[in-house]
Amino acid sequence: MVRFEDVALSYGDGPNVLQDVSYQFAPGSFHFLTGPSGAGKSSLLRMMYLALTPTAGRVTIFDRDTAQLKRQERAVMRRRIGVVFQDFHLLDHLTAVENVSLPLAINGESDRATRQDVAELLAWVGLKEHLDALPPTLSGGQQQRVAIARAVITRPALLLADEPTGNVDDRIAVRLMYLFEELNKLGTTVIIATHNDSLVARFRHPVLRLNGGHLAVQKQENVAAARLTASAVVESQAT
Amino acid sequence: MIGGRRDMPLNRDSTGRFLPWLIAVMVYLASLATMGALTMTKIANEWQSSLTGQLTVQVPVSMPAVESRDAAEDEQVQILLALLKGTPGVESAILMPLDEINQLLEPWLGVVDASASLPLPRLISVTVSPDAPFDMAGLREELQSAVPGTTVDDHQQWLNGLLDLAGLIKLVALLVVVLVGLSAVIMVVFVTRMGLAVHRQIIELLHLIGAHDAYVARQFQWHALKLGLRGGLIGLLCAGATLFLADHFVSRLQASLLPDLALTPLDWLLLVAVPLIAALITLITARITVLQSLARLL
Ligand SMILES: Nc1ncnc2c1ncn2[C@@H]1O[C@H](COP(=O)(O)OP(=O)(O)OP(=O)(O)O)[C@@H](O)[C@H]1O
Ligand SMILES: [Mg+2]
Repeated sequence: MVRFEDVALSYGDGPNVLQDVSYQFAPGSFHFLTGPSGAGKSSLLRMMYLALTPTAGRVTIFDRDTAQLKRQERAVMRRRIGVVFQDFHLLDHLTAVENVSLPLAINGESDRATRQDVAELLAWVGLKEHLDALPPTLSGGQQQRVAIARAVITRPALLLADEPTGNVDDRIAVRLMYLFEELNKLGTTVIIATHNDSLVARFRHPVLRLNGGHLAVQKQENVAAARLTASAVVESQAT
Repeated sequence: MIGGRRDMPLNRDSTGRFLPWLIAVMVYLASLATMGALTMTKIANEWQSSLTGQLTVQVPVSMPAVESRDAAEDEQVQILLALLKGTPGVESAILMPLDEINQLLEPWLGVVDASASLPLPRLISVTVSPDAPFDMAGLREELQSAVPGTTVDDHQQWLNGLLDLAGLIKLVALLVVVLVGLSAVIMVVFVTRMGLAVHRQIIELLHLIGAHDAYVARQFQWHALKLGLRGGLIGLLCAGATLFLADHFVSRLQASLLPDLALTPLDWLLLVAVPLIAALITLITARITVLQSLARLL
């Protein structure tokens, strides 16, 4: 599904933010991505949603080398990837419903046809009362749920969520995690970057840990079901 | 609203707010220039069709005493008339009555019997068949050898001068239309680029969600069309009012030199087409600008 091979990444002329990252995310897998702030979690996700190309090495998604994609192909591939951005990236002048229906509109579906589905999903994440609210009038946690709804509305093949539960209380966080698990059961490959250790502990999925630019699989005593095991080869070298 | 989605709040852009007014001015200028060119064409055609096939033969004025003059001239006129009527291609040759000559001179000389007090040339008005090939130079020679000093005016020189002028005016009008169109394109490119810069973050997000450039371009182009139509309508109304006034004044002039200048339904149709074309140019320019700018972004 997603394969990293000896990937390094730096911003501009800066130092490498990521180094020697090699890992393969199996189709239908569910991973947590953790690490201290500034470790490069968002950067790793950015390569997966094609906002960045690696400085060295290769990132392969849906069996395509992301560096080789043409502009049009990249747009098509992005439609199969749902992203919850760390800072949401909602459009402030559009209502919650309009924000969530954005990926559908880009797919060419009319707003009128999709409104029902969108409203249901928003109700599911607890925003039944805020369908036509503009993001600036919503709390951080509410905005985050709009962002999540927008990421999952198309049932993407790959879901990348950057700190998706950072602004909500534990009860809602757990509910959102169930949403991701539902999606995962339907076949979506899920990767969630998070600081929330209790959440990581509660949902027993493989955990990848970024530190000093290197990626390592964190052992959990009780690794979840076999279908979730990643075919992981991780090389972690000391700098 | 045209175009459905409005993912970028384009109608809140201050850059787009003045565009309709500029388009209005441009449509106004282009409409007037177009109508000017059309009118000039009409006048030129009118002159040409009323003057081709018309010749004026001028009998030379002999200067001796007034009494003998008429007799001598009458004779010359008879010779010329006979000659003209015998020329193939000539449909009619009529001696212009003195009254008529007096009438032509009236605006300049007042009501006097000019022919009595002035040595005026006699004029023969000749109509030539438009179909038959006609030997102008041959006729001129023949008339001159019969009565030396006879001149033949086929009005071509005068007409050519007028047609040249009309052509020039049309050319200038065309230039105005082209320049106005060009400025409109430049304006729209500028406003669209500003829009792209202002909404850069939104566009980046749309791209990340999988939008093709065409998706972004569509929203810009419908917005531009809306602005173009709005401006075009204003320009059209102003141009219509101006032409209506001009029409009013021309019809009050009742100038015999001017042909009927009233706007035909076709003219009005053309007038309405100007803002539509302007709006279309706005749409296409916006689209191309967005597609080109985005392609450069990577
Ligand atoms: N656009 C950028 N330009 C330059 N450097 C950047 C940019 N984005 C991130 N970095 C650097 O890359 C490193 C990794 O940042 P990243 O955002 O990937 O960390 P993170 O693990 O997501 O952190 P957090 O948990 O705080 O979100 C940081 O040192 C940061 O300064
Ligand atoms: Mg981050």
